[in-house]
Amino acid sequence: MGRQMTEMLKGTLEGIVLAVLVMRPAYGYEITAWLREQGFSDIAEGTVYALLVRFEQRGLVDVEKVPSQKGPPRKVYRLNATGHEYLEEFWRTWSFLTERLEQLRQGGG
Amino acid sequence: MAAGWIEQLTGSFKDKKRYRDYKARSRQLPGSYREAVEALDRYLMYRGLITDGDVLVSMLGDLLDLFEQGAANGTPVRELVGEDPVEFAEVFVRNYSEGQWINKERERLIRAIDRAADDRPGAPGSAGDGQTL
Repeated sequence: MGRQMTEMLKGTLEGIVLAVLVMRPAYGYEITAWLREQGFSDIAEGTVYALLVRFEQRGLVDVEKVPSQKGPPRKVYRLNATGHEYLEEFWRTWSFLTERLEQLRQGGG
Repeated sequence: MAAGWIEQLTGSFKDKKRYRDYKARSRQLPGSYREAVEALDRYLMYRGLITDGDVLVSMLGDLLDLFEQGAANGTPVRELVGEDPVEFAEVFVRNYSEGQWINKERERLIRAIDRAADDRPGAPGSAGDGQTL
């Protein structure tokens, strides 16, 4: 992954993970695997996990521990009402940024 | 390293017990995962300067959860930590920043700048003197 991609992902990965969770509840491994399939090939599972911990701390997700056949129970993250609101705000910010950037690219706003 | 800072956890036997549990759990990890946890543990201790024992043990517990899960799924260490372990550690440690002494200094800085940029009429740097932007 290029340097620019890494820097831009820093600011957007939070929204990306929330957008994945809006589709269905998931655990960290699943989210990372899905993102890798979608072309975010260098995303570390640990980075996604760190964001999930943050979502939990901020009350954006409800967490359920589901027993696993192998290893410790898995934490399944489900976006709650606060999380949905937060994601809405992310999309509004994203739209603002992309519109303004597109104007700049077209030669000034 | 561990012996040094654990003594700084003032008085909390519960935190100490949780820390011992964490150590015992991390010893159960397969070799490469254990090595990675030890390396991250060390870095997070230096980097975080977390003074709250409870926050600190929670951080280590969360770290261990990730690696236990990774070991169970057979996810390679590189895929857990990524190409840039420092970046991962920085993202991770931010979640536990409420225990960081630097926050007190950040608040202090904010208050000092608030005072310096005060909007009181006639005060230096106030909104009325045309110098603010």
